[in-house]
Amino acid sequence: MIDMRNLKKVYKTGSIEFEALKGVFLKIEKGEFVSLMGPSGSGKSTLMNIIGCLDTPTGGSYYLEGRDVSGLTFDQLSEVRNQKVGFVFQSFNLLPYATAYENVELPMLYNGKKAPERRQRVDELLTMVGLYDWRKHRPTELSGGQQQRVAIARALAMDPPILLADEPTGNLDSKSGEEILDLFTSLWKAGRTILMVTHDTKIAAYSQRTVHILDGKMEADI
Amino acid sequence: MKLHLLKLFLNEFKKRKKKTSLITFAIAWGTLSLLLMMSFGRGLSNQFRIGFQGLGEDLILVNGGRTSMDYQGLPKGRAIRLFASDIDLIGRLIPEIKRICPESYNLGEIKYKDQETNRNVRGVYADFGPMRNTIAQAGGRFINPDDVTYSRRVAFLGWHLAEELFKGKNPINEEIYINRMPFKVIGVMMKKLQNSNYQGLDYDHVYIPLSTMALVDSQKYIDMMHIQPTERKYARYVENRVKEILGEKYRFDKDDKYALSVFNTIEAGEIAGKVFMGIEIFLGLIGGLTLLIAAVGVTNLMYAMVKERTREIGVKMALGAKRRHIVWQFLLEALFIFLKGTFWGALIAFNIVSLVRLAPMNYEMTSIQSYLLRPDFSTDILVTFIVIMGILVFFSGIFPALRASKMNPVDALRYE
Repeated sequence: MIDMRNLKKVYKTGSIEFEALKGVFLKIEKGEFVSLMGPSGSGKSTLMNIIGCLDTPTGGSYYLEGRDVSGLTFDQLSEVRNQKVGFVFQSFNLLPYATAYENVELPMLYNGKKAPERRQRVDELLTMVGLYDWRKHRPTELSGGQQQRVAIARALAMDPPILLADEPTGNLDSKSGEEILDLFTSLWKAGRTILMVTHDTKIAAYSQRTVHILDGKMEADI
Repeated sequence: MKLHLLKLFLNEFKKRKKKTSLITFAIAWGTLSLLLMMSFGRGLSNQFRIGFQGLGEDLILVNGGRTSMDYQGLPKGRAIRLFASDIDLIGRLIPEIKRICPESYNLGEIKYKDQETNRNVRGVYADFGPMRNTIAQAGGRFINPDDVTYSRRVAFLGWHLAEELFKGKNPINEEIYINRMPFKVIGVMMKKLQNSNYQGLDYDHVYIPLSTMALVDSQKYIDMMHIQPTERKYARYVENRVKEILGEKYRFDKDDKYALSVFNTIEAGEIAGKVFMGIEIFLGLIGGLTLLIAAVGVTNLMYAMVKERTREIGVKMALGAKRRHIVWQFLLEALFIFLKGTFWGALIAFNIVSLVRLAPMNYEMTSIQSYLLRPDFSTDILVTFIVIMGILVFFSGIFPALRASKMNPVDALRYE
C-alpha cells in the first residue's frame, strides 16, 4: 500500500537548509492499522503530509498502491488525494457554512460523481457513523464527537484505500475519543488501511502496529 | 465548468450571504450612483436639446442691423432693413433652403371681453408653425397660406396667453381684439419646452398672418427672417449666401459683421450639444471612478475573504479540489456578488428614474426642474455600464482567486 524508500525532505529558507526527513524507509501493507508516534519536530507532520500527497518529497521514492507519486503535478496529486486518501484532522475542518450532508458530499463533487450516486453514498456513510438524522445540521450544531464522525464519513466518501488521521481524538473528551477509536477499529476490521498520528501510547494501543519517528528517521517498529 | 460544481459554488455563495453583504452593498451603491449620474446627465442633455428645438428646428435667424464698414463709397453706420419681398428673393436664389418665413412683431393691446393685456403680436407666414414647433392643440390650427393670401383676420394664441385671457374656456372661434381690431381665434399652441428666445417666450404671444399686420402696426419692414436649410451641413453656406445676396441688394460688405444680425441656431446647437456631451462624459467619469473605487474595495475584501478562508481552501485541496476549482469558486463568487449588487443598484436606479419622470413638467425655461425631471435610463447607458462592470468583475475577482489557488495546501491547513 505505502512503500517509502530513503525519502528525504529539505526545506529551504533563503540560504538556510533544514532537513526534516533524512531518509525514511516505511512500508505499510494493505489492511494494516498503524500508529505513527514521535515528538514534535521529529518530522512526523512532514511525513504525514507527504503520505497524504499534500506535499512532495525532495529525494527518494514514494509508491502509493504501486504508483510513484513523487513527481506528480498539483492537479494530479489532487486526484490522488481525492481518490486514494481520506483525511481526518485533529480540528475536524468541516466547512462551517455547510450541513453535515454537504460536507460529506464535497469530495464526490470534485470528482464529478452523479447526483443519485452521491445521495446514496452520503446517506450510507451518515447512517454508518450514526448521524443520518443530523444530516441537515451545520457543524456548529454538532458536538465535537459528532463533528469528527462527519469528518470520517467525508474522508470515506470516495472510498479511499487509506485513511490518514492526524491526532483524531486530540480535541475530544475521552468518551468521544473512544467512540472515534472504536469506529476506526471497525473500519480496520472491515479491511480499511489506517495510519494515525498520536503521541498517546494508550491511543496507539488501539492500532496493530506502532512506528516511531525521531529526528527525521524511523525507529524500530514495536 | 460542470453544472454540479456551479451549483456547489452557488450554494456556498448563498450560505455565505451574510459575509458578502457588505461587498454587495458597495457594488449596489456604485451601480446606483453611476447609473443615476449617467441617466441624469443624459436627461439634462435631452431636455436642453428639446428646449433648443422649442425655438425652432435647425433655424438661421436673420435680422437687419447697422453697417460697420464703408462700402462702395457709402459710409458706415447705415441701418439695414429687411422686407417681406426679400424672402421671395432669397428663397428663389438659394435652392439649399427648405423653408423661409418672415416675421414682424410689435407690442399690442390684446382684449377678450373684459380681459385686457399687452403682449407681442407676431405677423408670420404659415411656415412659421413647423419651423418654430408652434403646433396647434387639438381642435385648432395654425395660420395657413390662405390666411396670408387673403389677409384673414385670424389669430393663434400662445397657451399661456390663452389661459390668461380665457381662464379655461375654449378660445376657438372666439373673437379677440388686437389694437381694437377684431380677430377670430383659430388655435392655441401646444405646450413646449423652450430655452432660447428673443422678445420673450412663444407661449405668451399672439400670432397673426403677416398680411394683416398692417391693421395693427404701421411698421413696413420685417423684424426677423427665419431660414431652414434642406440639410444641416448647408447651415454655414446658406448663411454666407444670404449675406452675399442681401449685401448686393442693400449694398453692404458681405463680411460686415454688423450689417445683419444673424443667429445660426444650428451651429449654436452643435456647440451646445458638445458641451452637454462633455457634461455627460464628465458625469460618466465620476460615476465610473466611484465604481472603480468600489471595485478596488471589492478586490480588497476578496483578498481578505481569501485569507479568512485559507484553512477552508487547504481542506478543499486535501479533499481533492484542483487549482481550477479554487479559481472558479472565487471568480464566480465575485461574479455572484457583482450580479447581485448590480441587480439591486440598477433596479433602484431604474425606479428612481421612473419615479422622477412622473413629476409634472414645468415649461418655464428658467426653472431647473425642466432639466432635472427627465432623466433618461436608456439602453446605451446600460450597455456601457455592463461592459464596464464585466471588466471590473473580472479584475476584482481574478487576482484574489489566483492567490487562493496558488496556496500550498500544507500551509493553508496549518493556518489559524
